[in-house]
Parts: sequence; structure tokens; C-alpha cells
Amino acid sequence: MRAPTRIQVKLFASPATDVPSRAVIPVFHRWIQTHAIDELLIDVTDYGHVPRGPGVLLIGHESDYGYDLGEGRAGLLYTRKRGGSDDLGERIHDATRRALRAAHLLESDGSLAPLRFDTRELLFRFPDRLHAPNDAATFEALRASLGSTCDRIWSGAAHTLSREGDPRAPLTVVARTETAMALDALVRRATG
Amino acid sequence: MATAEPPASPASWKELLADRIDPDLGREIDIFETQLELRKQGKIEERLFAETRLRRGAYGQRYDNGQRHDGLVSQSLAFPDVPTKGPHTMWDAPGMQRIKIPLGRLTAAQLETLAEVAEDYSDGILHVTTRQDFQLHFVHIDDTPDLMRRLAAAGITTREACGNTVRNVTACPYVGVCTDESFDVTPYAHALTYFLLGHPDTQDFGRKFKVAFSGCADHACGLVHMHDLGYVARSRTGRDGTLERGFAVYLGGGLGSLPHQAKLVDDFMAEGEALPFAQALARVFARLGEKKNRGRARLKFLVEKLGFDELVRLVREERAKLPADARWTTFLDDLAKHEERPLKPGSTLGIGTFPAGFAAWSATNVRPQRQLGYSVVTITLPLGDLTAAQARALADIARRHCGDTIRTTVDQNIVLRWVPDAEAPAVYEALRDAGLASPGANTITDVTACPGTDTCKLGISSSRGLSSVLSEHLAKRELDPSVRRLQVKASGCFNACGQHHIADIGLLGVARKVGNHRVPHFQIVLGGETTRNAGAYGLAIGAVPSKRIPEAVDRITDLYARSKRPDETFQAFVQRIGKLKVKQLLEDLTVVGSHELESDLYSDWGDPREYTTGDMGVGECAGEVVPFVQFGLAASEREVFEAQMLLDAGQPSAAARRAFGAMLTAAQSLARTQNQDVSDEADVIVAEFRKHFHDTGLFHDPFAGDKFAQSLFRAHEASYDDVAPDVAHRQIEEASLFIDAAHACYTKMDTA
Ligand code: SF4
Repeated sequence: MRAPTRIQVKLFASPATDVPSRAVIPVFHRWIQTHAIDELLIDVTDYGHVPRGPGVLLIGHESDYGYDLGEGRAGLLYTRKRGGSDDLGERIHDATRRALRAAHLLESDGSLAPLRFDTRELLFRFPDRLHAPNDAATFEALRASLGSTCDRIWSGAAHTLSREGDPRAPLTVVARTETAMALDALVRRATG
Repeated sequence: MATAEPPASPASWKELLADRIDPDLGREIDIFETQLELRKQGKIEERLFAETRLRRGAYGQRYDNGQRHDGLVSQSLAFPDVPTKGPHTMWDAPGMQRIKIPLGRLTAAQLETLAEVAEDYSDGILHVTTRQDFQLHFVHIDDTPDLMRRLAAAGITTREACGNTVRNVTACPYVGVCTDESFDVTPYAHALTYFLLGHPDTQDFGRKFKVAFSGCADHACGLVHMHDLGYVARSRTGRDGTLERGFAVYLGGGLGSLPHQAKLVDDFMAEGEALPFAQALARVFARLGEKKNRGRARLKFLVEKLGFDELVRLVREERAKLPADARWTTFLDDLAKHEERPLKPGSTLGIGTFPAGFAAWSATNVRPQRQLGYSVVTITLPLGDLTAAQARALADIARRHCGDTIRTTVDQNIVLRWVPDAEAPAVYEALRDAGLASPGANTITDVTACPGTDTCKLGISSSRGLSSVLSEHLAKRELDPSVRRLQVKASGCFNACGQHHIADIGLLGVARKVGNHRVPHFQIVLGGETTRNAGAYGLAIGAVPSKRIPEAVDRITDLYARSKRPDETFQAFVQRIGKLKVKQLLEDLTVVGSHELESDLYSDWGDPREYTTGDMGVGECAGEVVPFVQFGLAASEREVFEAQMLLDAGQPSAAARRAFGAMLTAAQSLARTQNQDVSDEADVIVAEFRKHFHDTGLFHDPFAGDKFAQSLFRAHEASYDDVAPDVAHRQIEEASLFIDAAHACYTKMDTA
């Protein structure tokens, strides 16, 4: 299948370590000031007033980074919007790598302590209904690429992939493993 | 496990939706897509392309000129090097897509489509505007043709959502179910919308043109008086004893930097005349309206230029010449087509145990309909925002309880009509599960805000940041019921998209210079009202730093709760105690300490960067600034306030003269930076100001050009004998804006 243009990857904050979304606003502004991420970053926008909304968004040209409140669970949400590889597997892997790296940056920011991300669960969403309609066939077509990324970052640990959510929403797949691992180890494996 | 076939190579949205899009609409979108391509190849001039995309609702956003101040330095945003999509507008910079929703009317399926495009092309947020439109932000121009196709397949157009066109036609969200209305204006507003959409007579305006319908004269919802053209439903008994329908028709209203109240053209225009009158007015506006000076191109300025009676005479003359068009009246044969049918029988809410929170929510968010057994439920949207998931949940709720009876409101909320009374608790529970059951609709916590500095290129202060904080702050307070009923509206700049003039407490974003820094402020605007169809506009009483606005609002509302007379409205209360008293109450809040001591005041709400107005794209400036400029500007502010006092005391001529005096003081304080010998003579001040500030372009506003300087020149030529109250009111408004522009000019000079 043709790789979806838009791919989202979310890492959820571990229970009891999440921070108010507005605490992330100055952090995202600092990322722009210090070019913390090697991408064209444009501005920060605050949706903290929207229940279960996008929280705080760092808008970029090719990607957005959010401290997201969707699903009623805070987390780092990475969105690839344009650019990047056309290869399905590479595109999914690259999005995962960028999401992990951003989550690690947030965890390392002293102002956000005690924020920690749960590395046992990853949400993949594909807001591109033309190339990734929310149906069983698309899920099956994505399974191998998603599995391969999960194998790599979880170092081959057993995991499950399940299609979840409202069938009218973009196709959403949740990957889960039982084994807890350090976030920096995942970043290393994704990057290596 | 069975393996599914890999999906076939996907078709384009154009192919997929070909048989679901109206062919004319499809062709228009194809043409737009071609225009995009031609612009990328440099074959369409950038200004022409800009107006083309605006007419399809594709608007620019802040920072699209490729510059952004990051709080430390101004950074260039290195967008890929492709042609611009308009003057100083980078192709790849995110933009805003406005989506027209005539009368705010939506079906559940349309709401689902809006949710889909918000997810696939935007940030997953649907934003309801003060004109009942939707806006999506951070949209790439390349995505807009497909976005438009998907909307078109759901019966939604973005055509003429922006640009110099007839904007979304608005109407009360309660039409057809309201106890006050003369009749349901829905079929009339619908007919006028589609009659004027793309009509050749509406394609050559110098500026936008706004139309509204109201079902009654007295209540708030239609806001007819702030529109270029407004219709208020009227019924009367004809000579043969039958009930005749018609409209009280108003024209020439508008908010913006110089608000005007629309004036009555005809207190009963027969229903069949509504469309031809609009067409005739469009022709006259296109022919005689200002085209070069954007700042004076709205219809209200044509009224000013020609005189109301002369304009009306010309329109009537034009009307008499119009070739007959069957569309003027064919819709009258089928008015019932637009009648909403309830999904379920009406019912009564019995006595029983209701879910926690239901009572408080239903007190503000449920309103009985004229039709027994049904209610209108309001969904309070914080700052007009809802997520795609919430939109889907809302579509489900509508399908389950009331059908396709969804409408957006000018207060940036959504209503569901025809909800059977007995089902209100179930609707509440479903909304609560979706995070959509906030109480307080149309109360002081339901603050209206324009996009402001969040995304608008012209924003001066963060109207959304402030409104969000203010709303949360007020929701935590125990408020007197009279205070709870008040309305707060905030605009990020003088263009007034947040409609601050008509709020009980209006907030207008401005900037002030303190030492070597700028401090975001909001002018507090009092005296406006949404009732009587936006029957009065407020005036600014003084500017308070943004971060102190919640405290200012507390003080004003506490005073009202403490000192009002029984049943005294907020407007009557302010009038009785005098604006001076309110101003004095806030005096200490206006004093800004040094950057070192009060650094928090030097950044805006929700934005930790050092505050700057530089992102607006300030032009060149020159000149040496001496400190007494600030004293002069402060004096001018005092004078303009005194002018308000005189107006409130029933002395309009003196008020207008004092307002002009305030402008002179501000102009003189600037002129003295160039020529210290400027005397106190009005002629001398105006001549010096013209020479050094107008003719050099130094005083020009990046958006409004020389509009504010021209207001000084007009005021200089005006006579101040026997000034009418509305003229004095406008003079005060102009003086206030002139002083704000003087502050901005001074800031520019100092920066240079
Ligand atoms: S009032 Fe000003 S800041 Fe607000 S949306 Fe309008 S132009 Fe932009």
C-alpha cells in the first residue's frame, strides 16, 4: 500500500506523573529558541481549555509535537504531516523515532518533573482516509510495518497490535508489550 | 488468521467523490486547483492569487511572512523556496480555512465530515466563529482543493467565506422555535444566501459585505444593527385581513475600528422585496463604494459619504431598473420546505432524580421552545473550540435525540433544537461523557474571543489566552446572579472580530510602551449591549495590562453586585454611577512597574515570550523621541475620557469638541518630536502632523494605512455646533483609536 501522508504516534504519560498541559508551553517555546529539534518549528498553540483536546501543540512545517490530552490520557503526540520517505515501513519507523526522541526531551526537562512516559504502549493513528481508510484490510496491510518497528524498539519482546476506537475516526492501532523498558533504551534502538 | 488483500492503489478524492459533488461546485474547485498550479509556476500574479484563494475561504495566518520573534530574537522561518501565495505570504506557511455555514445550520453527517477534514488536514480542532462559520487552522494550501471537495460532497461550500464578498449570512439560532419571533426567517435567509452567492452583482466590492436576519426586534440573537444589511421579521394584517409577512430593513451598520449602527430603511418591506433590494444595494455598493482605501471601503462609509437618504434613493432607483428575476420570489411558494420536523414526540420532564450537575447545566443551557414539550440545548464550547471526536459524539447525540437540527451560534456555541424535554437528562449525560456539558451558556463565563495573536496576523494582544484564563477564573467565583448574566467579549485588535463593542464588558487588545519595553493591554469597553439586536456600542474607558484584566473584571462586577438598584441593568448602572467612578476603581491597575519588578506583565497570557508587536510587521519609521511624548499621550487619553463624561451628561457638542482636543494633544505630542516649536494652534498642529507623520507614512498603520490620520483631518474640518449624540459617540471612538495609533507610532519610532 502507499504510505499514508499523515501518521501520528503517541506515548502516554505514566499514571500520576503527568503534568498540566500549560506547563509544557514554555518548554516548546524553548525548543524553538534553541533549535532543539532539527526541523522547521513555527509556533506554539494552547488548547488546554478543550477537554480531551490537543493540549499544547508545537506546530512545525513537516511535523507537529503535542502534549496531548486525547483519549483522556496525557501523552506526547507526534504528527508527521508532510515530507519524509514514501516507503511505508520507513515512514512509520521514522515517526516512531521522532516521537520517542521528543518524549525523551520532555522527560529530561527539569521543569516537567516528575513526568515519565509509559514505554509499554504506543498508539499509532493514520489521519489520511484516502490512503489509510479505517478498515480491516488497511490494518492488515499496516501490520507488518508496525510489527517491525515494535520489534525493533522493544528488542523483539512479545507484543500485541489491536485496532481500536470509533470506526469513523482515523484508523487507530495500539501496540502493547508486557515488558517495561527505559525510554532512552527505546530511543537508542529506534535511532541505531 | 485470514490475510486481507492489500488495499488497491487509492484513487484521488476527486475521483472518489465525483458523483457526490454538485457539478458546478466541482468545476469551481477544479479551477481553483489549476490556479494553485499556475501560481506555483509563476503564471498568476500574487495579488490576484491571494484574492482568488480568499474568495475560497483560504486565509493567511500569523507568521506566514516567514518571520517570528521567538522571545529572544526575530527568526526567519526557512520555508522551502517556492512562490508566495500572496504578498509577503509564504506558500508553505500554515493557513486558516474558513468554512461557510449559512445560518449556522448543520446536519449530523455534515458535522462528521467537518470532523474528518479537521483530522486529515488541520490540528483536529473545529473552531466556531462569531459569524456562525467554522475555521480550521494550520492548513496547507496544497490540501485545500481536496478539503473543499470533501466538504462539497457533504453540501458545504467555502466559496466567498473571505475576501471582498458577501460573507456568511447569519440568523438567530432559535428561529422557528423562539417564543418571540414574528415568523421563521430560515427560508428567506437561505434564499438570499444562495441568490447572492457567486452573483455577478456581488463580485466587485471594495470590501466585505455582511447580512443578518432576526426573528424579532427586541432580543439579542440576530445582531442586525451591526450589519451592512439586516432584516428583522415583521408581520401585519393586510387590507384583506390576511397576515402579511415582511421585514424591517436596516443598512449601513458594522463594527470594526469605527463602529456604526445600521439605520432603518423601511419598517415594512414586503417579503418578495427582500432579495431584489439586496441585489440593488449590492450594485450600488459595487459601483460607488470605495475601492482604493480599504479602511473606508465598507458600506458604512458610503452611507457617510453620500448621506443615508441619498444612498437609499439610489438603491430604490436601482431596484426599479433591475431586470426581473424569478429567484426573487420562487422560494416563497415552498416556505414549508425549510420547516424542521421533530424526530420524536414532545414530552415533559417529570419530577425525579437527575444526574449530578444536571440542574446547574439545565438552568443555563436548556431553553424551552415555542412548541410545547421541546427545548433547545446549548453546548458551551470553550473559545468556540471542539475536537473532531467531540463533533462525532455530538452527531450521535443529535441522531439519537433530535435529528438534523444543529446550529452554530454567533456566541461561538452550538445548539441542538427539538430535544424532547424528557430526554434532556440523557442528552446531558451523553454530552458530559464527551466533555461537552459545561454549564454557563451565555453567561459571564462564556467569554467570546477572536483568534487574536494565537493565529491572526493583525492581532495585538492574546484575546484567546485572556479569555480562557478569565473564563476559568470567573467559573471559580461565587457570583451574584446579576453578574452571572453579563457578557464578556474580547478582540485582539481594533478590527473587533470578537464583537467587543456589544458586550456588557468589552475587551480590546492594545499595546503600551513602558520604558524600553512593550506591555500587552486591553481597553475596557463599557456601555454596549447585545439586546435590541446589538442596540448600543460601548466606549473604551481606559487600558489595563492584560495580566490584570481578571482583577479589573472582578472589581467592576463586584461593584455592580454591591451597588446596583433592584433590576438595574449593567448599562443603566454604569450610566448612573458614571464611567469616571469605574475608571477610578481601576486606576492603580494601570500603573506598570519596571520590567525587573513586574516581568510577568511584559508577556501575554499563554505565551511566555517577551511581548512584542514586531510580529505584526511594523513598517519603517524615523525620528528621535523625547520623553514628554508619553505625557502628551497620557493627557490625550484623559481628554478622550472627559469627552465621554460630557456625552454621558447630555452635552454631545462639547463631547465631540473635547474628543477632537484629545486628538490634537496626541498629534501635538508626536509633532513636537520633529519640531519643538509647534504651537497650541489647531491649524499648526494639524499642518505639522500632516507634514511629518502623514506625508512621510510614519503614522501609517500596517493594516489600516492612513485611516487614523485621516480621522484627525476630518475632525479638524468638522463643525462642533449642534452635534448629534451618535456623531459625538463616533468622534470619541475615532479619537480613542487615533490615540492608540499614536502610541503605536511612538513605539515604532523608539524601536527604530
Ligand atoms: S479583531 Fe483583530 S486580532 Fe481579532 S481576529 Fe480580528 S483582525 Fe484578528
